[in-house]
Amino acid sequence: MKYSREFRNAELARAVAAEIASLTDPGRHYKIMEVCGGHTHTIYRHGIKDLLPEQIELVHGPGCPVCVLPMGRVDEGIRIAERPEVIFTCFGDMMRVPGSKGNLIEMKAQGADIRMVYSPLDALRLARENPDREVVFYAIGFETTAPSTALTLQRAKKEGVENFSVFCNHVNIVPPVRALLDSPDLRLDAFIGPGHVSTVIGCRPYEFMPADYGKPCVVAGFEPLDILQAILMIMRQLAEGRCEVENQYSRVVSWEGNLAALRSMAEVFELRPYFEWRGLGFIAQSALKISPAYSHFDAELRYATPGVRVADPKACQCGEVLKGVLKPHECRVFGTACTPEHPLGALMVSSEGACAAYYNFGRKVEERVGAER
Amino acid sequence: MMSGRETLLPGSCTLDHHGCVVCSDAGIPVRVVSVEGDDALCEDRAGNQARIAVELVAPVRAGEVLLAHGGVAIGRIEEEAG
Repeated sequence: MKYSREFRNAELARAVAAEIASLTDPGRHYKIMEVCGGHTHTIYRHGIKDLLPEQIELVHGPGCPVCVLPMGRVDEGIRIAERPEVIFTCFGDMMRVPGSKGNLIEMKAQGADIRMVYSPLDALRLARENPDREVVFYAIGFETTAPSTALTLQRAKKEGVENFSVFCNHVNIVPPVRALLDSPDLRLDAFIGPGHVSTVIGCRPYEFMPADYGKPCVVAGFEPLDILQAILMIMRQLAEGRCEVENQYSRVVSWEGNLAALRSMAEVFELRPYFEWRGLGFIAQSALKISPAYSHFDAELRYATPGVRVADPKACQCGEVLKGVLKPHECRVFGTACTPEHPLGALMVSSEGACAAYYNFGRKVEERVGAER
Repeated sequence: MMSGRETLLPGSCTLDHHGCVVCSDAGIPVRVVSVEGDDALCEDRAGNQARIAVELVAPVRAGEVLLAHGGVAIGRIEEEAG
């Protein structure tokens, strides 16, 4: 296959689904986690669940950085944004993530200068254009996004832009997956590895999954047939008794990753000793902070953020959904108190959060299956 | 409307998509129109154009397909002949 239309060919999809079915042991239950929120979105949007045997359960992983950000970090961002000298910039979805006393849209309505950007480079441009203001970029994201922040800080340093800083909330994908594998709550058979994170980090970092835990991992792309092929590759491994990392997305992902991006990240960031994840608690070496060589651009130092911890609302069960222990619709406030229009939890905010994807595309399927039972 | 060449770009994300820019793994396939120093003017499958930083995948040439994320190219997409 070469082009996107071929990755949506219904006939091919049915053929792959039939092969998956032929490899499925009717007496066994398979739990496969898609780590990445983009995959969750594709699975619901294209009804991939409907093509799979009932023995195969897809479990949604922690791969949405908006969703895993703890409320305390949202509050600290809002605190910086409220400063009169600051132009606070962030990606669109961050604007709606609830903090304990509101979100960034509400702060903007109350007069804070908060602007949505498409790229951290846009935030740097704002700093150049507004030399009398302090421009802060709210950086979030996995290794897919971290290179754009790193590159932006390298340019800021090279150009000597003084009025620019970054509130860094970048996280790494491997530590939470390892935490999930160590968790007694969840028994998984295999993983669909993230596609574009792997563009940066390559496939090698997933080798611990088969080596230490005996779980296959197949890195996959984002078209419906990418996901189906990845599931087929996993089912082949399980049927043949193999356990390894495979790359379904080789048209984009190399085994070694993007070395220039990794070098850029290594210069600008260093590992935090620990970082709090919504639903998963504190995980060692799971996030990035700005390195001493770039400390001048670190908003945490510039604004002395206190590192507050804020508990999630009691009604929210985001943590259980993030760990794959609950399906989105099993949360007690799903679709009632918590909707995409009025989200209580972060998983309902992002279009690729499991709850929002489920709300938009998955509920009808679940209702139908429920009625048939 | 998409031209014949643009339909060759894999994936469905475009530069004007309303989804989450940062979330998870969103990446946008774009074709290089022209190279301007460390940036390149790039075009997505819908014909939207934007300046994308290309240091992390340098050197690039007009016509190549890159994976852009947050205004920065993080990968190169291989196209088979045909």
